Amino acid sequence: MLRASVIERLAIATASTALALLIGVTIVAAAGYDPAQFITSMIEGAIGGQSAIARTLRFSTLFILTGVAVAVAFRAGVFNIGVQGQFVVGGFATIMSIIWTAPLLPEGAVGGVGLLLVGFVSGACAGGAYGALPGALKAYANANVIITTIMLNFIATGVVGWLVQNPFRGEGNTAPNTERIPEYVSLPRIVFDSPGFSIIGLGIALAAVAVIFVVMERSRFGYDMVTSGHQESAATYSGVGAKRTVVLTMTLSGMVAGVAGAVFAIMIQGYYTDPSGIGTYGFDAIAVSLLAANNPLGIVPAGLLFGGLDSAGSHIGIYTDVPVQLIDGVIGLVILFVSVPELFRMAAQRTGLGGENR
Amino acid sequence: MSVADYAAGKRLRIAGIVAVVAALAVATVAMDLQIRKIVTTGFVERSLQAATPIALTAIGGLYAEKSGVFNIGVEGFMIFGAATAATMMWIISGGSPGQGDVWLAILASVLVSLVLAVAFAVLLIRYEADQIVAGLALWFIGLGFGPFMAVLVWDSRNSPSLESINDLTVPVLSEIPVVGPILFDTSPLVMVTAVLAVAAWKFLNDTRYGYWIQAAGENPEALDTAGISVTRVRYAAVIFSGVMAGLGGAVLLAQAGSFTGTGETMVSGRGWIGIVAYLFGNYNPLGAALAALVFGGLDMLQIQLQTAGIDVPNRLVNLFPYAAVVVVLTVWGSTRTPAAVGEPYESEE
Repeated sequence: MLRASVIERLAIATASTALALLIGVTIVAAAGYDPAQFITSMIEGAIGGQSAIARTLRFSTLFILTGVAVAVAFRAGVFNIGVQGQFVVGGFATIMSIIWTAPLLPEGAVGGVGLLLVGFVSGACAGGAYGALPGALKAYANANVIITTIMLNFIATGVVGWLVQNPFRGEGNTAPNTERIPEYVSLPRIVFDSPGFSIIGLGIALAAVAVIFVVMERSRFGYDMVTSGHQESAATYSGVGAKRTVVLTMTLSGMVAGVAGAVFAIMIQGYYTDPSGIGTYGFDAIAVSLLAANNPLGIVPAGLLFGGLDSAGSHIGIYTDVPVQLIDGVIGLVILFVSVPELFRMAAQRTGLGGENR
Repeated sequence: MSVADYAAGKRLRIAGIVAVVAALAVATVAMDLQIRKIVTTGFVERSLQAATPIALTAIGGLYAEKSGVFNIGVEGFMIFGAATAATMMWIISGGSPGQGDVWLAILASVLVSLVLAVAFAVLLIRYEADQIVAGLALWFIGLGFGPFMAVLVWDSRNSPSLESINDLTVPVLSEIPVVGPILFDTSPLVMVTAVLAVAAWKFLNDTRYGYWIQAAGENPEALDTAGISVTRVRYAAVIFSGVMAGLGGAVLLAQAGSFTGTGETMVSGRGWIGIVAYLFGNYNPLGAALAALVFGGLDMLQIQLQTAGIDVPNRLVNLFPYAAVVVVLTVWGSTRTPAAVGEPYESEE
């Protein structure tokens, strides 16, 4: 799948998404809803007006960050299905570290920036550590990363859910939430005056894309990572420790996921809540990364697409009676079709739409 | 793998078992647990019931992987199985299901799983889908469409209370102390699962087709040379795994009596635990069923601890199986997978 050319990838991504949406619309029609209205409200929900665009970008920011986290690992041949867990642990660590450090720093802008730094660093470290764990288990005990990361997702959700319900619940909160972080710790809204979105958040996501792109494509470490992922024996022969690389890859991937968690916690929530209800950004990120062929730069358009889908989903959930779960199913279908490039190659050959350049 | 390595592997396993038993013993003494209050016949019965969906899924997944295809989508099949069984039960009975409808719903759910499994197998085998990614995709589709079906039918992600399966009581035999109530006064689905586990074990190890399945995963070229279609064997195994996982989901629903579509849905990771169960059981259907029983027991332990008056936070005890899986994989990590798993096979004719 990684061998496909850029054009081919684009074609497959477009065809997968179109096919998945087509099936979605068919189901909408079969279930007795109006498909035309469904399509209109999807477009409206994604790009209809300033607040819709801000909402799309808010989701896109998270998808780009979590997507990059997934891509880092996938490129190195490690299936990190645990981004959701690393995202949760990172976000929780961000909020708690800010709450704990706040009394030590002055209030106001200076303290705010200081606390933001504390939050982001804690988030990245916690996410990195939570990613390093399955990496180490893989490297030194040969435990299947796919399974351990999935299990660690369940564990992260459960443990953080319990923590915010019990020991770390904010005083006097009836809901299972932590205390709020101070007002002055926030990412300023400069362009869009829409709650839960700051252009700085998007900037952080794009910066992460750039950094990861440079690390993967231009650095020694990135080269080692990708080689040991695809040609382990060659990498070992040239002196790259495969075990060490797995641990480092998972750590890096987890750190990006932790940053995503920090952005989510600071930009959107301002406190931490039961993670079973916060959305499956870490899982959808797998789709984002695959759609982008695990290329850090490709993550940006893929993230925008998924942001749009999710934004349309929440619009549909509010303004129409079509169940919003349909969007989750459609996202699953996109991933399914992306995993079968052969299907589209054969279809292209049958229809004579240039399937020759295999 | 040399003999010494093998012995070392075994030693690790033995050490693992000893460590677990020792830890349990220490915990028992230290916390003054009353084993008698915890390990009751009711507990064993409930553990068996909790184990059935996991065991069914595990046996199916094992067959697929033995044949050379890693069906990581079993969690998705379970969600579809449970959601279909619930909606079918509702539709067949017109809103007030009885015992007969439970059985019909299970049957209908198996048929729907069969259709799904065929489509999935075609994608995996004919179109050489990336097995990991396609399997994950199936999970996501299940997470979306399971609750979607529930919303369509009941306007809510959760179904109202439907009907759960009654225990089957065998007269006379059920009056044998201890063994009676566990074996002869329990859910018939437990019986069905036990029979299926033994049959699956017999079939895999004692029939020609069972050998073909193993050969398709270990040495497809040899099987091909012997004139057996590797593709056909793999189709059969993957379809079987999807149907078994769908049945697992339906059984889960039949025991719970209602569909829950919030969070990770009512299946809540049991498919994943099923995969671990057959790794743990070293690709032996009976071993997988026993491993499922261990996970089922862990699942039920929390209720038992509560009734015994031991206050442990619910949410944390629920995580026990997941943590156990990580530990098990760490200790048992080096399970040998069939040689040709994950590679599409193309015949050279």
